[in-house]
Amino acid sequence: MMKEPKRMLLKRRLPNRLEHVNAFIKEALDRFANLSLPEDDIFHLKLALEEALTNAMRHGNRLNPDLFVDVSVEMEGRKLVMKVKDEGEGFDFSKIPDPTQQDNKEKPNGRGVFLIKQLMNEVEFFDGGSGIKMTKLLER
Amino acid sequence: MSLQVKIEEREPGVYVVAPAGKVNTDTYAELEKKVNEVLPQAKAVIFELKDMTYISSMGLSVFFRAKAKLAEKRAKFLWVNPQPQVQKVFDCMKVLPDAMVASLEEADEYLDSFLDGVQKGQIDPRTPHDEGA
Repeated sequence: MMKEPKRMLLKRRLPNRLEHVNAFIKEALDRFANLSLPEDDIFHLKLALEEALTNAMRHGNRLNPDLFVDVSVEMEGRKLVMKVKDEGEGFDFSKIPDPTQQDNKEKPNGRGVFLIKQLMNEVEFFDGGSGIKMTKLLER
Repeated sequence: MSLQVKIEEREPGVYVVAPAGKVNTDTYAELEKKVNEVLPQAKAVIFELKDMTYISSMGLSVFFRAKAKLAEKRAKFLWVNPQPQVQKVFDCMKVLPDAMVASLEEADEYLDSFLDGVQKGQIDPRTPHDEGA
């Protein structure tokens, strides 16, 4: 089967400071605008991106301002693929608590990854959990 | 400025907190600061969400922390009128479904009956059935 052609929409190396999260998201939204996506998809992509970038900076890079987060947004046929990679040690994603379980509802960790999984069609971790690949199938 | 927070004291100790705009990584601290100003004296806090256009997990944490602080002193936590996208986030996270009411009027009725019951001694605010909302 022929592989879908890839088209890079956006690729950045962000300094590890939270104020860069929404600046990047604004840039990404400008690129999404050219794709004529439904409003729901845009909301989901924006939220997943914010969660992944915030997790990378807070938990992956532990808010260390000397580190960086690499982020890319790419089209592969009808799939939109977003990758976020921090410089931290990674983590065991199988140990993230389910934040919807009663015992975990008050715990602050796990909500971001859980939301990403709900909003995107495929979620994979790579490099020992220091990277996340999020895929959204676009209906066009 | 992508977030504004209005707070109204509807009756003594009953506050309506109305965030307008996005509650995200940049703005959640502003909402939390405003909410924390009313929590010590609050008997109930109603979050009016009709103008809140976006929420991330950082924003959700503000709601969870406010609920926990109110629950510690047996005060009430309610929310009304979330926009569909925000409702979807709440649904995904199974956020506080027992704290949702349909309108501010319904919240008023609910709180009136709660506060009335407490005053008349018919409701003990320390009983477990009140911890959900």
